[in-house]
Amino acid sequence: MSNLTSQKKWFDSAIRRLLLNPVNIALAILLMVLAYLVLWPFFQLVIETLTWGEGDRRLSRDAVPGEFTWFHWLQATASPISEKMLYSPLLNTLITGVISTVLALSAGGVLAWCVVRSNMPGKAWLQPVLTLPYIIPSFAIALAWETVFRSPKVGGQPGLYESILGVAPPEWLSYGTVPISITLAIHYFPFAYLLVAGALATIDSQMEESALISGAGKLTILRKITFPVVAPAFVAAFILTFGKTIGQFALPFLLGAPVQFHTVATMVYANLALGLDSLAFVLAVILIVISLISIWLSNRFIKKKSSRFETIGGKGFRSREVNLGQWRWPVFTVVALFAFVVGILPLILLAIQSIMLIDGFYGLENLTWHFWTGKSNPDIAFGEPGVFHNNNIIGATWNTLKLASLSAVIASIIGLIIAYIVVRRADNPLANALDQIAFIPFLFPTIAFGAMYLTLFAEPVGPIPALYGTFTLLVLISVVSRLPYSVKTGVTAVTQIGKELEEAAEVAGASWGMRFRRIVMPLASSGLTSGMMVSFVGVMRELSLIILLITPSTRVLMTAGFGYAEEGLTQLSNALVLIVAVLTILGELILWWIGKGRMTRLREKL
Amino acid sequence: MADIIIRNLTKKYGSETALKNVSLEIESGEFMVLLGPSGCGKTTLLRCLAGLETPDQGEIIIGDKVVFSSEEKIMNSPGERKLGMVFQSYALWPHMTVRDNIKFGLDVLKTPKNISNETLDSVLKSLGMKEFEDRYPSELSGGQQQRVALARLLATKPPVFLMDEPLSNLDARLRMDMRVELKKFQSESEATTVYVTHDQTEAMTMSTRVVVMKSGEIQQVASPGNLYRQPSNTFVADFIGMPRINLINLRKEQQDSSFFVNSDVKIDVGWVPISNEIVLGAHPEDLVVSKKKISSSEKYSVTAVLPNGPETIIQLTRGKTPVIARVAHDSIYTVGESVYVNYTVDSLNVYDAKNGRIEAPVEN
Repeated sequence: MSNLTSQKKWFDSAIRRLLLNPVNIALAILLMVLAYLVLWPFFQLVIETLTWGEGDRRLSRDAVPGEFTWFHWLQATASPISEKMLYSPLLNTLITGVISTVLALSAGGVLAWCVVRSNMPGKAWLQPVLTLPYIIPSFAIALAWETVFRSPKVGGQPGLYESILGVAPPEWLSYGTVPISITLAIHYFPFAYLLVAGALATIDSQMEESALISGAGKLTILRKITFPVVAPAFVAAFILTFGKTIGQFALPFLLGAPVQFHTVATMVYANLALGLDSLAFVLAVILIVISLISIWLSNRFIKKKSSRFETIGGKGFRSREVNLGQWRWPVFTVVALFAFVVGILPLILLAIQSIMLIDGFYGLENLTWHFWTGKSNPDIAFGEPGVFHNNNIIGATWNTLKLASLSAVIASIIGLIIAYIVVRRADNPLANALDQIAFIPFLFPTIAFGAMYLTLFAEPVGPIPALYGTFTLLVLISVVSRLPYSVKTGVTAVTQIGKELEEAAEVAGASWGMRFRRIVMPLASSGLTSGMMVSFVGVMRELSLIILLITPSTRVLMTAGFGYAEEGLTQLSNALVLIVAVLTILGELILWWIGKGRMTRLREKL
Repeated sequence: MADIIIRNLTKKYGSETALKNVSLEIESGEFMVLLGPSGCGKTTLLRCLAGLETPDQGEIIIGDKVVFSSEEKIMNSPGERKLGMVFQSYALWPHMTVRDNIKFGLDVLKTPKNISNETLDSVLKSLGMKEFEDRYPSELSGGQQQRVALARLLATKPPVFLMDEPLSNLDARLRMDMRVELKKFQSESEATTVYVTHDQTEAMTMSTRVVVMKSGEIQQVASPGNLYRQPSNTFVADFIGMPRINLINLRKEQQDSSFFVNSDVKIDVGWVPISNEIVLGAHPEDLVVSKKKISSSEKYSVTAVLPNGPETIIQLTRGKTPVIARVAHDSIYTVGESVYVNYTVDSLNVYDAKNGRIEAPVEN
């Protein structure tokens, strides 16, 4: 009997201890919040595609709002419009995805080898230039492409190509599969480059040296040793890059929509614009499924869990270099030229075009600062004032900075807390679940993620108000979409903080709150700051994620730029994209500076 | 200033048992060393004392306070146990200066500023670290970092010191100096100290008593002298002593005889053990080596000569039985030479070959 009561007492005290532990409380709260913000939106989206909506009455007589139906799926997959709605966009998505990935990976792979394994000169400054296309917003590259290859057949002014050569470029070069694939490849090759460079850096150069000693030539070594060893990473990089390209919205939209060329991602947007919400959601679900399959495949190729994904800002690589001999300078010239064309030229083109009074007319007398500094003039650009006098743009700039900094700070701190729980409670299955859930947003193509939040927050649910149209919703989705990255940064930071450092404080009698504040936070701060900066830059150049959630009062630079591009006000959209590009590059520079100036004493003892 | 009582402590990690029913009493002011090979449970025991691990069963009493009891459902947090700890890696906080590192514990205790400053100054001075107080841990040498860890321990004047291999990261020479210093501070502070190490020299030189552990169980608790002279089983015998003790499997020559033999050697243990099969423990210095045959000595051949400063270790064999002997540094032997060996009867330990336990002559 006494045994029973004592067992109950033990049970009670154990429960109380478990419940009162701040780490457990945080774990429970985060699990619930993230389940609501990550898992539930997906279910909501799927449910939405399987029920009749209010707007469906005009589509079908059988529509009973709120009731279950396969109508939307049938409409997408087996109806007269499915060809236009699903199959042709799907085919376009796969074709542009595969072509751009092949291009990106070939370029990224060759460059990675040159930078990591060869003795090519000028690596130090080529490397940052080579990552530029990934840092700047993807549709900056699309705009630059348009600047050169715009075809008057679809209206508007001629591009640089026509101005110089006197003939219009063929349409396949202006719009559709070719330009979309090439510009996607330009935007994503640095991503592939970083993945492959990471794999190459792990090669033990002794493997190659031993082949060298047995008399193999350089090409043979490359073919028989180097490539087979990095092959799995290569395949994984292929799938990851592919997964990223299919979620791209702005770039295919700008270079495809004028000729009715659609991908699944642009179709989601187009359908929402047409009010065909449920159909758009079906497409979003399909996009997610493709992405899930590709990530699943890539995980099968990467056994190591830690390399599930990489972020910009890899490590410094040092391994034995292959001597290029007399090819050193020719290789350098080619790489430098390539870096200039894809990294710097687009920005120059945008800058020049933003100071041309009449777009497409090249001459000194056509240059003007109007689009930057001019006041409203009804004759130019429908009276839109220049960037510095445009309240719309100034408001958008302010919103952008507010959104990026708020999201970055919140995402980093929540990421650190999640990382702390994940690392310190590694044996707790719930902590593991938290890790998994926080990673899920990485699997959603950003435009589909936006679609989910559109369905979830359109109406108030319980205590949660209808957040659609609010700035809060933008912060919310930005934070959640950054979590996979910030948790990863956090895990790296927390893992480096020896458990003993905390235990020493625990023995001294410090509470969990005090330990987190005085030991964990300061020690994680350098990693935290760089993580914050990465998120800041990432949120700032984000378009696909928030394009569906933006309203005029919450517009940011990217959506304003996209809006101007849609309206054909190229100079203004170029100016805005240029501003974002400069801000992101500045962000990257600060990041680089933080990394460099990191206190040496921390590095040594951590 | 506080004694420690550990009763029937058991700790499991999944199916692995790290501590098996461990009981130990540590007297106030004692310098108790937990010694054993890696994975023997010594660090787990220390961490259970600290409150960093929760045992599954048993009881821990520090001073007059029960800090853990599975019966009474008590589990005090580390902070409530009034102890100080030095970690193997020192666990100095890299983002705090030396002074702030030491001050942290005083801050937690909400020590008034003037008293805290006084304490800090005196601790820093006594460890010779005053001039380094504004440096960061990474700007210090290993020995200095060690001192800071020690200062952090001394500042709050806890009645119990816990140390987890604090000297293992220092080079051999510095380790010697720090041993002396640690011992000095421990005796001055009169704190009960539990010290984990796998280095037997450290254990022997610093402790008042040594606990030898293996696979989560205590093998022997004894003063350093007793531990060396009378290891209670073959594991301890084999573990303690550099070079290793000679352990020779022998059987009784005949009923009621004090002579034991194997195919090669015949040794008189001086009394009649009960066991017929024994393991004989003979320290290298218990072998008397001479070039001439004296009384019952047997002939061995020299297989290796290893001079080591004040002593020389020689390896000998007779048939298939190898032994090690310790001889004076000025003795000259060459490999292949034949020598005669006698065993010092009084120093020999006899272990039952079946269970490895020591067998002592029954005193009447």
